[in-house]
Amino acid sequence: MPGKRFLSAIRERFFLLSNRKFWKSLGILLAFIGPGIITSNVDNDAGGITTYSLAGAEYGLSLLWLLIPITGALIIIQEMGARMGVVSGKGLSDLIRERFGARVTFYLMIVLLLTNLGNTIAEFAGIAASMEIFGFSKYFSVTIGAAFVWWLVVKGNYKSVEKIFLTACLFYLSYIISGFMGKPDWEEVRRATLNPSLRFDAGYLTMAVGLVGTTIAPWMQFYLQSSVVDKGLKVEDYPYARLDVVIGSVMVNVVAFFIVMLCAVTLFQGGIRIETARDAALALEPMAGKYCSGLFAFGLLNASLFAASILPLSTAYTICEAFGWESSLNRKFLEAPQFYGLYSIIIIIGAGIILLPNVPLIPIMYYSQVINGLLLPFILLIMLLLVNDEKIMGKYTNGRVMNLISWATVAVLIMLSLATVAAALL
Amino acid sequence: MMLYAQHLEENHMAVNSEDQVFLFLSQILGKRILDSEGRSLGRILDLMVRLGEPYPSVTGILLKSRPRKAVLFFPWQNPVETNGCFVVGSRGLDDVRELAPEREEILLKESLLDKQIVDTNGAKVRRVNDLQFLKAHGKLYLVHVDVGFRGLMRRVGLERATDFMLKGLFEYELPDQFISWRFVQPVSSPDLLRLKIAESRLSQLHPADIADIIEELDIRQRTAVFQSLDVETAAETLEETDPKIQISLIENMEDSQASDIIEEMSLNEAADLLSDLPKDKAEGILKEMEQDIAEDVKELLAHPEETAGGLMTTAYLSFPPSTTALEALQVIRREAEDLDFVYYLYVTDEEEHLLGMLSLRELLVAAPETSLSDLMFRRVVMVDLDEDKDQIASDFAKYGMLAIPVVDDQKKMKGVIMFKNLLEVVAPRLGR
Repeated sequence: MPGKRFLSAIRERFFLLSNRKFWKSLGILLAFIGPGIITSNVDNDAGGITTYSLAGAEYGLSLLWLLIPITGALIIIQEMGARMGVVSGKGLSDLIRERFGARVTFYLMIVLLLTNLGNTIAEFAGIAASMEIFGFSKYFSVTIGAAFVWWLVVKGNYKSVEKIFLTACLFYLSYIISGFMGKPDWEEVRRATLNPSLRFDAGYLTMAVGLVGTTIAPWMQFYLQSSVVDKGLKVEDYPYARLDVVIGSVMVNVVAFFIVMLCAVTLFQGGIRIETARDAALALEPMAGKYCSGLFAFGLLNASLFAASILPLSTAYTICEAFGWESSLNRKFLEAPQFYGLYSIIIIIGAGIILLPNVPLIPIMYYSQVINGLLLPFILLIMLLLVNDEKIMGKYTNGRVMNLISWATVAVLIMLSLATVAAALL
Repeated sequence: MMLYAQHLEENHMAVNSEDQVFLFLSQILGKRILDSEGRSLGRILDLMVRLGEPYPSVTGILLKSRPRKAVLFFPWQNPVETNGCFVVGSRGLDDVRELAPEREEILLKESLLDKQIVDTNGAKVRRVNDLQFLKAHGKLYLVHVDVGFRGLMRRVGLERATDFMLKGLFEYELPDQFISWRFVQPVSSPDLLRLKIAESRLSQLHPADIADIIEELDIRQRTAVFQSLDVETAAETLEETDPKIQISLIENMEDSQASDIIEEMSLNEAADLLSDLPKDKAEGILKEMEQDIAEDVKELLAHPEETAGGLMTTAYLSFPPSTTALEALQVIRREAEDLDFVYYLYVTDEEEHLLGMLSLRELLVAAPETSLSDLMFRRVVMVDLDEDKDQIASDFAKYGMLAIPVVDDQKKMKGVIMFKNLLEVVAPRLGR
């Protein structure tokens, strides 16, 4: 019989967990966290995972170092968005409409709608691809997926949806686990990460640009800022929001890191060519085992489903906000026709196109990346103008150093996205 | 004021057939201004109006002068429109003065166009796509706010293209969506809102509608709108608002100001709100509140929110059994104002043990001299302090009462749960 001492030792060990104060302070921290982590993780969507797999499979470990500057850029851009949300209490599309007028907003929203539609199609393609690995036909998986997305938003409320999303963020761990299952040579990984190597061949550069482009997407800026506003964070809470953004940006790149690494140490070293994330998952099976392949596919499913839930909603909110249409899930369909209309159309078209037989998935994903790249420079410039507008930001505009860093980052990103577009069109 | 408004409306009926009697702001902005000799003075940047009248009139023009590359301002002198330009009288630029908006004067493009407004007629938050003026008596009056798709397309420059397409394809004519200026409450800046407090159109709305509106605004506007309400409306609005927003509204206020509003709320709503606030803030507010209300609230705060104790209110009617119907009526008449619930009367002994109850209706039809112990119904349905909300909800469903009394373990009466307070628990399950 275990003695009293044993029991008290256990109690002591778990004292922290049974201490209410601990839970309370953790709770406060968690209450502010969410928008940044969710936004960043949605960013590792079907398109992202495909790009990471390709980067690893085709160029081995040589692109790993790039994830470090990408993390920096992501933090800088998202920090500005979160700060604008906290200080102005308005979404990005609100601010754009009020500062730049109806015409600019109108055309920007049309391009954003097209871009996000393209992205949504890619997400449903990801759902179809990952479920095919588990042996389900796309007609089954995409239909169920679309229904799930619909149900989540129409029946869920903000709190429960956020909880589901935060849980989905945890599933990204599957990539980290599968990364370990690939049994990499850590010394080599460390060397490749810390010693940047730049190669000047067209394919390598295009892939590098693709990595950047898939991590920093236009719609994220809208989504992040709206969810910061939705959370009702105040200026005093801003440090938490910043922490949230930093954690999210690091987390997303850690996941990306493991995907690139896994594909590098297995597929690249085995000399296997792949074209999609699905190929990657299938090719992993003989090399790293059934479980590794399954986890990889599960990660893809989670990521696609997650992004497919957020993209249509975020798009509908953004557009309705800009044009002053009712946009609340608490309204009935007829009270907010534009909101539900946009939301439904994006899901129906997004899922519908994937259900067509013989649909060319790779070009679709490719061109959605191109429009992303076209739109991003405008969004980034607009964000810089807004964040430096004293009427909106008061004393929270960028400081001189921050401006220098952010303009430089944006300049590099703009050149990269123009390069992506050029590369895709040529 | 009403007369004036009516006069204006008749007027625009009468002159409807004339050309260009109605003008849109989008048709004025950017137009060239010429002096009487046809020389260009510059382009129109913005218009100034004076609020406070039912239909504000344009009082000045902000001009971007080309030769001098400067922003000029001069009073509106009813320029004549010809060939897409405006021609001002002979005085031309003589009247140019510094841009110094007086009280009640605002620049339309800067503070209204593209901003959010509250449509107090439809109780909705809309965005201003365009503004419509009426030209009458040599003046320009702001009469309508355009919130429709047609207005948006006009701004984008695609009004004709859209018309052509919709007509050609669907035989559909895109309607105008105007809101009369009389039903508009600008909210874009706290200043603009403060200007209008005197005749705040918001306070005429139902508090539940104001709450919906507040939930759609951004943080600053929320605070501005909320603080423009009188204490009573503010309290009722607060009761209808989402808890998360309640907290942010209260946190942005001074303790004394907040306590005035919370005192007006029903006790259990007040307790719920205070329990959600950070501890320091809640204590600060409790200190500022009237002693007796603060004590009642504190008592409620001791119970978890989801149980009977947390849902109940302590502001109910209770009487000793010997009270006569007449006496009871007099008490009710005197105190009903401060009570949360008056439709049931509870009869208790000196130690607050619940003996029975009767409804207000039974009291009204009873002979004045009858004592309550003869009128009361003795088999009262009651719940314990720690009863769970789901059980209470099913009790309400089973017994069809308006309220259920709450007792402690010695059967002493502690409070009353109103059906209204359970709506938040029950409503989500009713399905939308």
